[in-house]
Amino acid sequence: MLSTNNKYVGLLYLSPALLFVAVFVFYPLVQLIMISMTSESLLGGGEFVWFDNYLLAFSDRSFWMSFWFTVRYTLIITPILMILGFLLALLTMQNRPLAQLTRGVVFLPVVIGLASSSLLWVWLFNQQVGLFNKALVDLGVIEEPLVWFNRANLGMTAVIVSVVWKVVGFGMIIMLSGMQSISHEVVEASMIDGASYWQRVRKIILPLSARAILLATLISAIGSMLAFDQFYLMTRGAPRGQTFTSVYWIYQNSFVYFKLGYGSALSIILMVVIMAGAALQITLQRRGETA
Amino acid sequence: MRRSKMLAVALPLAVGLAGLMTTTVFAQNLSMWVRESAADPGKLMVDLWNQTHEAQIELTAIPDNQLVTKLATSVRAGDAPDLISFDLIYMPDFMRAGFLADLTEQLQADPNYETHIQAYKDIATYEDRIYGVGFTPDVSILVWNKELFRQAGLDPEVPPKTIYEIHDMATQIGALGDDTYGFYFAGSCPGCNIFVTSPLMVAGGAHILPRNGEDAALEGDAIREVLDQYRQMWEEGLIPEAAEVDAGENFVSAFTAGNVGIAGTGGFLLSLMERQFPDFDYGVTLLPGLEEGQVSGFVGGDVVAIPTGGANEEVAREFVTWVLSDEAQLEGLAKNSILTTRTDLADNEYFAGNEKVQATAQALEAGYVPWVFRFADMVNSDSSPWINMLQRAIFDGDVDGAIEEARARMLEIASQ
Amino acid sequence: MTDLASPATNITTGTTDARVVGGSRAVGYLVGALCLAIIALMLVPLVLSFLASLKPPAEAAAVPPEYLPRSLSLENYRTVATYQAGLWTYVANSLVVAALTILFCLALSVPAGYALARYAIPFKEVFFLLILASMMIPYQAMLTPLYLMFSSLKLTNTHVGLAIVHTILQLPFSVYLMRNSFEAIPRELEEAAVMDGCTSMQILRRVFLPLVLPGMITVSLFAFISSWNEFIAALIFMSRETSFTVPVMLTGVSTGIFGVVDWGALQAGVIVSVIPCVGVYLLLQRYYVSGLLSGAVK
Repeated sequence: MLSTNNKYVGLLYLSPALLFVAVFVFYPLVQLIMISMTSESLLGGGEFVWFDNYLLAFSDRSFWMSFWFTVRYTLIITPILMILGFLLALLTMQNRPLAQLTRGVVFLPVVIGLASSSLLWVWLFNQQVGLFNKALVDLGVIEEPLVWFNRANLGMTAVIVSVVWKVVGFGMIIMLSGMQSISHEVVEASMIDGASYWQRVRKIILPLSARAILLATLISAIGSMLAFDQFYLMTRGAPRGQTFTSVYWIYQNSFVYFKLGYGSALSIILMVVIMAGAALQITLQRRGETA
Repeated sequence: MRRSKMLAVALPLAVGLAGLMTTTVFAQNLSMWVRESAADPGKLMVDLWNQTHEAQIELTAIPDNQLVTKLATSVRAGDAPDLISFDLIYMPDFMRAGFLADLTEQLQADPNYETHIQAYKDIATYEDRIYGVGFTPDVSILVWNKELFRQAGLDPEVPPKTIYEIHDMATQIGALGDDTYGFYFAGSCPGCNIFVTSPLMVAGGAHILPRNGEDAALEGDAIREVLDQYRQMWEEGLIPEAAEVDAGENFVSAFTAGNVGIAGTGGFLLSLMERQFPDFDYGVTLLPGLEEGQVSGFVGGDVVAIPTGGANEEVAREFVTWVLSDEAQLEGLAKNSILTTRTDLADNEYFAGNEKVQATAQALEAGYVPWVFRFADMVNSDSSPWINMLQRAIFDGDVDGAIEEARARMLEIASQ
Repeated sequence: MTDLASPATNITTGTTDARVVGGSRAVGYLVGALCLAIIALMLVPLVLSFLASLKPPAEAAAVPPEYLPRSLSLENYRTVATYQAGLWTYVANSLVVAALTILFCLALSVPAGYALARYAIPFKEVFFLLILASMMIPYQAMLTPLYLMFSSLKLTNTHVGLAIVHTILQLPFSVYLMRNSFEAIPRELEEAAVMDGCTSMQILRRVFLPLVLPGMITVSLFAFISSWNEFIAALIFMSRETSFTVPVMLTGVSTGIFGVVDWGALQAGVIVSVIPCVGVYLLLQRYYVSGLLSGAVK
């Protein structure tokens, strides 16, 4: 410690960041709660309505439809991302040049914007000019190009394909780091015991990288629960509003239907649900570790 | 504040001077936004203005689903464009919010405004003040495939005059074969159906959308009748199955494919047909009601208005006046096969002898536009009471329950 | 391709004993083939997009499409270059916002990290947690109050305004990373400097900054990539066509330029938006991955 210095010098250094967080995170958070109890409109005006927005939200079929759609999307894409990420991590664990190249390439789309990748894939999936459709036809998987964004399930499938391509490398890297912290002694001991490759994966690698897997799961799940870009750009909520995600529906209410107050209430509900989910997962993880 | 006051004084001066002087020193560029789907006609008008005026307008097309958001946020930020062309249905919301410049004096003094289409006057008036004029118009119409009418033994020159005749004729056309259908509507497209289905109800005397929580919503027998006829046609297989999930993609192409007898559509179809299917033999008429002689149409298209806080308001006002001038109406709109927004110019050299355009012009005069707040909630959103009512009534078969539920939700939205 | 294979640009996350995996020669070939297949699968979308961007517009719009261009043309790039206010305006907007975001993140996180690592501050861990806690609040939920606040401060449609939002996103991670960087520096170094009579500012500048440079590069890199790619805030906060960032401009191209979607131009836009990210990633891969891991695993 710089004992010669006054401790307030340290506070001085810390204060800009604290001030920033206070002004741009915590103050708006308080505002969010206040706005959620008004009928504030994007067009101006609005009055205090107590908890009307929340009451309305609980009977708003469209909001819950979007919420359960988001949950379904999260429950489908997260295991896909984790399993593929884990397998990719296993495959590229060694520091051989080809494995490293694979790692680098799989990770590459992670740095691309979700908007860019969505617009790339929306083109690949297009029924007229889309090359993904053409490839499926050429490979004999389908007979003629599909209209991907006409049906909710097909639309979600298309989004999942594009998002898996974009973010699978993220889980891979996190899990790789988990695997690489496994000590060699443990592995060698098991090899002496004559354990097969898959036995080693199951008995040693999987349990010892559990922390990394859970962390990657948490990050992916939260990201999926907040999905917006990919649906806004690819499905646009169609058909029949069946592919609105929660954030999309909040955006739609706040900035297209001008209902900032109502949108804020929905934001808070979503935020609480996500935090509760994350807390639950972390608790379960802790309990699993101490057990 | 001081700066804007100075501008308020300086601008008219500058404009006045620019008018007197022939140099381009004072010429300024105006910014104008147009929603993507109305960008084509908007561009024709702006190009014409730019050819004949010193102050040039720069037109920017904004994606439809972003335009009202951007307009609202930019006005709030005091950074709006000088002119805006947007879906007329949002007029009430923006007028009430005070986001648009008051054009009352200017328009009331303008003889051209007297013959402006009534629906545009209605939608752009709030508490007796006027805030905009129709810019690039459109209206819904009924089209029929004359070739299929001939094959089915129907008179190709006589269109259906009631919803029941639509059903009868559709039955005869549907009998032609498996791949031929009597009728089409886009079953998952709320906007398409407020455009082409609601006028059938309105022509039959119904009132659709409530203006506030106390207003009537979905009142009139015509609503039940129209939905029931649609339901029957759907159950009898007179409507292609793909219609159920059509969110608007095939709203146009279903008819142009040639195997659909009758469909509601918009005036925009005429120029599209001329360009892409010049030999397609079809007729245009007004959307009918329950009895002969009842007609209506949904007046759509864009209005032009001036967001408050723009720096070039004087020139922008000139543009609004110009939109209603003979030059703009005839050379900008009519010449390009777009309807005029003045009734006295509907009969012009460009439309002469073109029955289809004339029928469309009649529809524009007879048409209605609902003056409501929160149209997006009630109608346009993908889970609106309007589209839910259609789907539940037609595809699930529960007409009365569907109307009941939709009415309650519409009133709930209107009273918020 | 060869760039990727060179050792300098590989992701190195530590050494792993090859024996962990082991296996025979046949398995080795299988693994190799699998790797190659995965590489191909991952690269195909980008390559197709790049090739489509080089097709003449008519070819890019052809139905049915073809995988490879018959002839090459820069016409699509010319189209996006003149789209609305011009591509370069949008690229410049994105770059300025990203640069400001980097600046804000560094200006806030370097002193904060220094203070957290080296000073005895009352309630230090509480403050640290407060800064980190903002990571738990999804910024998507905060857009309305931020929008209203910025709208009254006249910060919408400004580069500074959007950069502040992007800084909110990146600050917790940046502070965390800078704290770790400062803590990793041996105390002997600063003690020597104190003996020499340096002030705390001087110590920070002369002793620490050179040593935490890698951390600062990582912070900047993350700030750049997240700001360049961020979409929803830019969509809401930038309402003027002259202030759009690249992703917002692309949505315009994707819904069509006066009626018709120009697929070739859209892919040209996608490529332009992808190049800076891929570029800095390939150049600074080491910092990116180490940052990701230090942020994620601890």
